[in-house]
Amino acid sequence: MRRRCCRTPRLDLPPSPGAVPMATPLAMPSLPRGRRIAALWLPFAALERRRLTGPAALWAAVSGRHLITAATPAALAAGISPGQALADATAILPELLLQPADPDGDAAWLRRLGRWAHMLTPLPALYPPDGLLLDVTGLAHLHGGEAELRAALLSRFDRAGLTARIAIAGTTDAAAALARAGGTEIVPAGGEAAALAPLPLIALRLPAAQIAALHRLGLREIGALLAQPRAPLARRFGTALLATLDAATGVRPRPLQPLRPPAEFLATRDLAEPITTRLAIETVLAALLVTLCAQLRAAERGARRLLLRAWRVDGTVQAIALGTGQPARAPRHLARLFQEKLDQLDPGFGFERLTLEARVTAPMVAAQATLPGEDGIAPESRSQALAELLDRLSQRLPVWRLAPRAGHWPERAVARVGPFEAILPPANWPGPAPRPIRLLRRPLRLSAVALLPDAPPSLLRLGATSWRVARAEGPERLAPEWWRDRPDRPPRDYYRVELGSGARLWVCRAGPPGEAAPWWLHGRFA
Amino acid sequence: MTPPPPPADHETDTPTAPGLDQAALIAALRARIARLDRSAAPAHGSLPLSPAIDAALPGGGLARAALHEVLAEEPGAAAGFCALLLARAGGTVLWIAPEPDAWPPGLARFGLAPADLVLVKAPRRAEALWAMEESLRCPGVAGVLLLAETVEMTAARRLQLAAEAGGGIGLLLRPAGSVDAATVAMTRWRVDALPGAGGAQALGDPRWRLSLERGRGAQPQSWDVTWRVATERLEVDGMAALRSLPRRRA
Repeated sequence: MRRRCCRTPRLDLPPSPGAVPMATPLAMPSLPRGRRIAALWLPFAALERRRLTGPAALWAAVSGRHLITAATPAALAAGISPGQALADATAILPELLLQPADPDGDAAWLRRLGRWAHMLTPLPALYPPDGLLLDVTGLAHLHGGEAELRAALLSRFDRAGLTARIAIAGTTDAAAALARAGGTEIVPAGGEAAALAPLPLIALRLPAAQIAALHRLGLREIGALLAQPRAPLARRFGTALLATLDAATGVRPRPLQPLRPPAEFLATRDLAEPITTRLAIETVLAALLVTLCAQLRAAERGARRLLLRAWRVDGTVQAIALGTGQPARAPRHLARLFQEKLDQLDPGFGFERLTLEARVTAPMVAAQATLPGEDGIAPESRSQALAELLDRLSQRLPVWRLAPRAGHWPERAVARVGPFEAILPPANWPGPAPRPIRLLRRPLRLSAVALLPDAPPSLLRLGATSWRVARAEGPERLAPEWWRDRPDRPPRDYYRVELGSGARLWVCRAGPPGEAAPWWLHGRFA
Repeated sequence: MTPPPPPADHETDTPTAPGLDQAALIAALRARIARLDRSAAPAHGSLPLSPAIDAALPGGGLARAALHEVLAEEPGAAAGFCALLLARAGGTVLWIAPEPDAWPPGLARFGLAPADLVLVKAPRRAEALWAMEESLRCPGVAGVLLLAETVEMTAARRLQLAAEAGGGIGLLLRPAGSVDAATVAMTRWRVDALPGAGGAQALGDPRWRLSLERGRGAQPQSWDVTWRVATERLEVDGMAALRSLPRRRA
């Protein structure tokens, strides 16, 4: 004990005159226009999300022992506490309702809650396992002040059946610490250090070993730690401790890590009365589209990807994503695209908020009006109409173009590309050999009769029907593309045959002439 | 007894010079009938096929902004005829089918460039009709082909109205078996393949029998035609034209 005391620096003594003093609350530079963060702590979230009331608790198997992990206020009052053995808990309170804990489910629920919190602020962040951080900078005046904002948040969570502890401060760490440990609920800008001073060290989420070491030195409160000279503190405990302290007091605040990056183009509509009908949703959507498209026009951009999110009154968020082939910002066109997808929304008891966000945008310069063509329609509006049509069709159906490739193997002669791709046929395409106009996606197996093994077929049979071949042209031997095909694929001998009726078919023998090689019907000529 | 004077409103209708005005009235009525009957003079022009065939069609070709029906006695030949029409429509064309099997290397021989072709897969008929109607209504589309077994009168009427609004040509490619008597399409064609004119070892250029079964303002006729690949022209064979409608193939 004595040795340990000798080794430790004299941290608990008043600073010597020569020592550099720690940034004290008075000396700390105030943050004139910093961020304002509201931290929410949901102490009973794991229980309240399962609607457990009365004496109830969750348990988990921790290293072979069954331990209580969370308990309702009623259970806590009866003497149940987290960390207790399951057997002890049931002995104390036999009527205790027990459920296994589900940390993954809790984390997913918190993520959902974070997404829902987008209706409170554009920048919510998670503070696992049971906390949320909301950037409320510039939001307070909407409620009439930060106290009113806090009260509104509390009542909102209370209505949802969630116990919340809320603190508002200028830094994320200070707000989170105050929400968890209690104390000042609303800290004015620059007052973080003073508000944190009476809190225990555990409020800052320091490592347990570090807290134990600081306790041994007699440093039990954050204020005592802040009063220490910085240099010995850094030497003894590393710079991470100082970084945590600076982040909490606002000397060097840590940025909030929002759940998703803030939207650049966003239109929002809060509804006094929840809407349920399709007509109402379409009306709100039309208004949102007008707002969003005005933003896009001002920025000379067009939307490539849109996200419509609907907040239902029961706290779930539904989303519809939409992609366009070309940048678009015509409200009427985008409304028609959403028409096809609005069925996916399930209003239930109604939506209370709709937001529309342009997630991906691309530059789009306003088109100069051109002179109309011969039939009164300008070429630009023609191509615009085509692009909008292809957008609409591809919302519901597969739409594609076929791009020719420099390849002779029939299955690889063309490639499927998107409907907005430009198509440049390779040189000398399609070649001198006649090709069928329709290529069967699944070739039909034929049986063929030929006079000689390597002669063209004179009779073809497809199932029960048989065709007499009047004339045949071929063979045209196509070798597989060895550089990308499997090595044992046989070459094909293609024949153009004309039946007695005049129909022209593209048939092939997959393999060398002989009995074994199968015949296929692969295409039809015009 | 003098007859009572005609009522005043009648007075305004009958002008002072009866002979001259009757002619004007008749001309106005004729113009009005022509406006109502769109088959007389297609507003959006027409697609030429071949001089001999065009002469038999009102407007000198296959009218744009209208729906045309093509019955396929032979699937390949009918697809070739449709590809030829789509290529001559000149612009982006859509090929809507439950399983689109159009193949650009073969279509290029009918003048249809791969850059102009968009394929749409519509497995269900309601979706296919919706896609066809939307496409026909679009002024940026030159032609639309729909592969379908049957299309009801109401749906066909909608397609015809959509084509009139958009200005593109609409083609309904149907198998020959599923034929009903009435149609709202501007024309109905039956396409069958004919043996080629080449030798035993060469098939030669494609030959078809085009039968115009119905057409507003056109007599049912049949032509034997050859598609000249090299010159990209449709040639009517010899004096085969102006025959009566041939017997249906068994």
